[in-house]
Amino acid sequence: MTVRNAKHATFTIERVYPASPARVFAAWSNKEAKTAWAYCHPEWPVSDHVFDFREGGREHLVTGPAGGTRHVFDAVFHDIVPDQRIVYAYDMHLDERRISVSLATIEFFAVAGGTRLVLTEQGAFLDGYDDIAGREEGTRIGLDNLDRQQRQQRAA
Amino acid sequence: MTERSTKHATFAIERTFAAPPSRVFAAYADVKSKARWFGGPEDWGKSNLKLDFKVGGRESESGGPPGGPVHYYNAIYQDIVPDERIVLTYEMHLDKTRISVSLGTTEFKPAGAGTRLVYTEQAVFLDGHDDAGGREQGFGGLFDQLARFLEMQ
Repeated sequence: MTVRNAKHATFTIERVYPASPARVFAAWSNKEAKTAWAYCHPEWPVSDHVFDFREGGREHLVTGPAGGTRHVFDAVFHDIVPDQRIVYAYDMHLDERRISVSLATIEFFAVAGGTRLVLTEQGAFLDGYDDIAGREEGTRIGLDNLDRQQRQQRAA
Repeated sequence: MTERSTKHATFAIERTFAAPPSRVFAAYADVKSKARWFGGPEDWGKSNLKLDFKVGGRESESGGPPGGPVHYYNAIYQDIVPDERIVLTYEMHLDKTRISVSLGTTEFKPAGAGTRLVYTEQAVFLDGHDDAGGREQGFGGLFDQLARFLEMQ
């Protein structure tokens, strides 16, 4: 029998990108743009990607190592303020097991030379899947990918 | 133009009820039972709770003081473990304004013949509306109503 528990945690990551809030927001609000940076394991194939970017809309995708554990991401967009804020809730499954439910807030602030992005994740990590440091690290990798993407676009 | 801001907060409330976990859980899972305790003060009028208690299911309720703003509660169930745990996300609106988005975890643990309930809310309060203190106080009132409901059963 599964031992049930819930561990609650919050982490915040900040980045400054050399692009306008509208450009950085577009990297979150557009399916192709987001696919290019958002995943911590770019070598993992992504399938079943649904991306309906509006309040009440959902995002769904399945990824993971070929032939290995399926990582299933399911999100609902709750609050969208163009170029300023996105709030969404998401859960993660490893195969059939729900490992976490999270609330994520992404804020975009205009600063000299670009955009300060503040990501806040508030999560409930379930039934022993409490690798919160791993979640934060994976999120950082995604935001670093976004930084590379923004710099490349600027150079192009 | 609305000045945008966010305030993130987490609070936890623990209560012990004389009823076993299965009964306390049922007070959440059954719409008729939940409507008896999950609502505003009496002068807000009769409950209009709608509840589809399953993972992915939705819940809604609205109400408010006579002549005052209407409070809208809209939830989505994220995780349900019978008699043990409920995880949901919910939004609150005051009239047309979204004031918060929350992740709520309710855990039901046996405590002698009764139940120790732990409710943890992780919330983002939007654009200066509401705050964790007011929300925590609101849930304190709901748990008082839940205790009375369980005693009357």
